Amino acid sequence: MDSIRGDVLDYYTKQGCDTIDESHDQDTTDLHKCIAHISNSTPDSEKSNLCILVTGALGGRFDHEAGNINVLYRFSGVRITLLSDDCLIQILPKTHHHEIHIQSSVVGPHCGLIPIGMPSTSTTTSGLKWNLSDTEMKFGGLVSTSNLVTGEIVTVNSDSDLLWTISIKSGFS
Amino acid sequence: MEVSIMHHTAGFLLPTLPSDSLNYALIILNQRLPRFAPLLWKHAKIRLCADGGANRLFDEMPLFFPDLNPIDVRQRYKPDVIKGDMDSIRGDVLDYYTKQGCDTIDESHDQDTTDLHKCIAHISNSTPDSEKSNLCILVTGALGGRFDHEAGNINVLYRFSGVRITLLSDDCLIQILPKTHHHEIHIQSSVVGPHCGLIPIGMPSTSTTTSGLKWNLSDTEMKFGGLVSTSNLVTGEIVTVNSDSDLLWTISIKSGFS
Repeated sequence: MDSIRGDVLDYYTKQGCDTIDESHDQDTTDLHKCIAHISNSTPDSEKSNLCILVTGALGGRFDHEAGNINVLYRFSGVRITLLSDDCLIQILPKTHHHEIHIQSSVVGPHCGLIPIGMPSTSTTTSGLKWNLSDTEMKFGGLVSTSNLVTGEIVTVNSDSDLLWTISIKSGFS
Repeated sequence: MEVSIMHHTAGFLLPTLPSDSLNYALIILNQRLPRFAPLLWKHAKIRLCADGGANRLFDEMPLFFPDLNPIDVRQRYKPDVIKGDMDSIRGDVLDYYTKQGCDTIDESHDQDTTDLHKCIAHISNSTPDSEKSNLCILVTGALGGRFDHEAGNINVLYRFSGVRITLLSDDCLIQILPKTHHHEIHIQSSVVGPHCGLIPIGMPSTSTTTSGLKWNLSDTEMKFGGLVSTSNLVTGEIVTVNSDSDLLWTISIKSGFS
């Protein structure tokens, strides 16, 4: 609670909102704390149906952005989408094959697959303008950026956790 | 084996450069110019626009000088080179700078590298080997916006890890700290800090050791999914970093100067 303004905290407390001060825990970010809260409040039977949307996760200070992306990796079993005005980011864990459904009225066509944290020796995709075929990706080499979705479904298989990112269309909202 | 020390600085944000300063080059990418853009322009010996970055220079530099005629401002702030695949630059902007004598290089045939990559290669190729260690390339508009663009820009730091490149936004800067060197980061606290971080973007680090931070690392492992040093604070004038992995160093840029 070191950023929330006094008048704001006051207002929402009076409105009956639950305000939880976790300043004693300096080891995790505010986002981490919030995700943990939601995860702990969700019964196991509902966890696979849960998707957490996060606004304000990107842009601003880069270390904050990196910390927010790290939360995707630390909670890789939880569906989390980081959002900005321009794009969204989701993690594609290496443990699964992935089918990404493209709602082209609101997202795309610009997209990318980013091997943050670890190189990928092999990634294969379909549904992209420049598909990967058992292709290696790593920082210092090939990273799939400025790619384009070509249809309604993108598939991704990789030996490494990847970040999927797609642009959000301007002109709707 | 003696490992050499690589020094890092944000001296380009100070109003005047020291006499033994690095030589700066400026690349403008296609996002809003940061509030200190005229200062970077003043310090740079060569200025490039990457494709749509020229739109930003044309439209936004006059906004920094509201008392001056935009035509005069544009005359004064002309890039040496405009380079890229030319699919974002506006027709009127390309026209204007071409007539003004700027070198406009269309590389749309090369779809394998980003506009930033092309610009860095251009500067690197135009710099004699003897001057390369003194060169520092400043890039505005590198962060924020589409995340795949940002990741591509960060990747350029890794692909040109032998070249000093600083990615800049209004809020922070990013520099790569190659694993091949010990690093001394000089903190100009009037313009940067205290918020900082060390990010193992491409590869985990089994061992990183630092000094000069609020939460120092001591032979500490860092990786995505585990510990990443974010929301750290600089505590003095020098931060040192040694790591077995290439790391990104990031530090906040203070509001209130420019």
